[in-house]
Amino acid sequence: MNINATFFAELLAFCIFVFITYRYIWPSMENLLEDRRKEISDGLEAASQSQRKLEDANKESATILDGAKAEASSLINQANSRADQIVDEAKEQAVEEAKKIKLSAEADIEQSANKAKDGIREEVAALVIAGAQKILDKEINAKANKDIIDSLIKKI
Amino acid sequence: MAKENAQNLIETSDYIGHHLVNLTFGWCEKTSSWGFANHQQELFKGLDSACKVSEMGFWSFHLDTIFMSILLGAVVFGFFGLINKAAKKGVPGKLQNFAEFVHEFIASAVNSGYHGTSKIVGPLAFASCLWIISWNLMDLLPVEMASFFGHFGGGFNYFKILPTADLNAPLALAIVVMILVTYYSVKTHGAGGFLKELFIVPLGPLEFISYVSKHVALALRLYGNLFAGEMIFILIAIMFGQFAMSFSQTLWFLPGLILNLSWALFHILIVALQAYIFMMLTIAYLNLASTKH
Repeated sequence: MNINATFFAELLAFCIFVFITYRYIWPSMENLLEDRRKEISDGLEAASQSQRKLEDANKESATILDGAKAEASSLINQANSRADQIVDEAKEQAVEEAKKIKLSAEADIEQSANKAKDGIREEVAALVIAGAQKILDKEINAKANKDIIDSLIKKI
Repeated sequence: MAKENAQNLIETSDYIGHHLVNLTFGWCEKTSSWGFANHQQELFKGLDSACKVSEMGFWSFHLDTIFMSILLGAVVFGFFGLINKAAKKGVPGKLQNFAEFVHEFIASAVNSGYHGTSKIVGPLAFASCLWIISWNLMDLLPVEMASFFGHFGGGFNYFKILPTADLNAPLALAIVVMILVTYYSVKTHGAGGFLKELFIVPLGPLEFISYVSKHVALALRLYGNLFAGEMIFILIAIMFGQFAMSFSQTLWFLPGLILNLSWALFHILIVALQAYIFMMLTIAYLNLASTKH
């Protein structure tokens, strides 16, 4: 156990190393760790905030979705009822139209029947006149008259 | 037989003595000149003085202690300095992770143990803890290694690789702590208050004795533990080295190896623990000094 001047050398060396640590090692590491701590806590804060935001957005989107669903179903209902209505109207119209067509067709038929009757009548009249003329021409021959009349009758 | 035993004993004490002597450079009274202690080195022939180590006075330097402690300090603090310089704020690399782990470990000890405002306590704890650990780790190197490389590599016959086993080194650390404790005590309590605390309140000068002894004990605790550990390594080396020589059986190497290994494993605990204790006590003493009580 011999204490000698080595002590002073060690004292000086220790002071220098403490100074180096004090100046270059300790504060830079302290700052680095403090910065990182801050960064991490900021990150965590931001994460929890965005988590909250996400929850809010989820809720909002759910309400929006519900509203949209309700709106869509009401729209569908409206559309359905409207469609029914349109179909009904169309049916009614169709029925009416059919009636009209039927009526006009009947009228047409009647008209053409009347026309035909008129035609027949005129023709018969012409035939009768022609027959009468022929009868007048050949009055003497009764037998012949009879033939003409028979043929007329057949034409009618 | 008796003669042989006596011869062995002399060799043993020589061996131990050889391992306990520092490479000393100092003032020799006999020749009134500076030089290495007699027969300690062959490298600088001209610097060999006529004095033995025991004949040198206070003005001598243990070059091995100084060289090793400064080398270790440069390695340790250079390592941490470089890592800090290259440190990034983002995801840390492995080395940076290690440096941050060490820093946080010491910073948490400081924060929980010290409640004053001084900015020097953290760096002081950091520097003392890491420097002492790096010293103590030298104890785990084989006892013969330093002598072997010193002798064949540099021509030095004496070289102690473990700075902690030289009382000068731990004492220097403890004295720095003592100076700081005194400074902060005076700063906190005033010079009068501090003196009053030392000599009058509550048990008279007993407080002064405890004040001095706790700082001396801080150095001696560290020194004693590591010196004893080194001693046991030396004894293990002697025991099995001698067996091997006297029985001409190198097989004795094996139990020596096992004993050495088991003591080294246990010693790792002491290496770290003593550095930790020194650091914690430093923090505690400074805390006592800089808080009012």
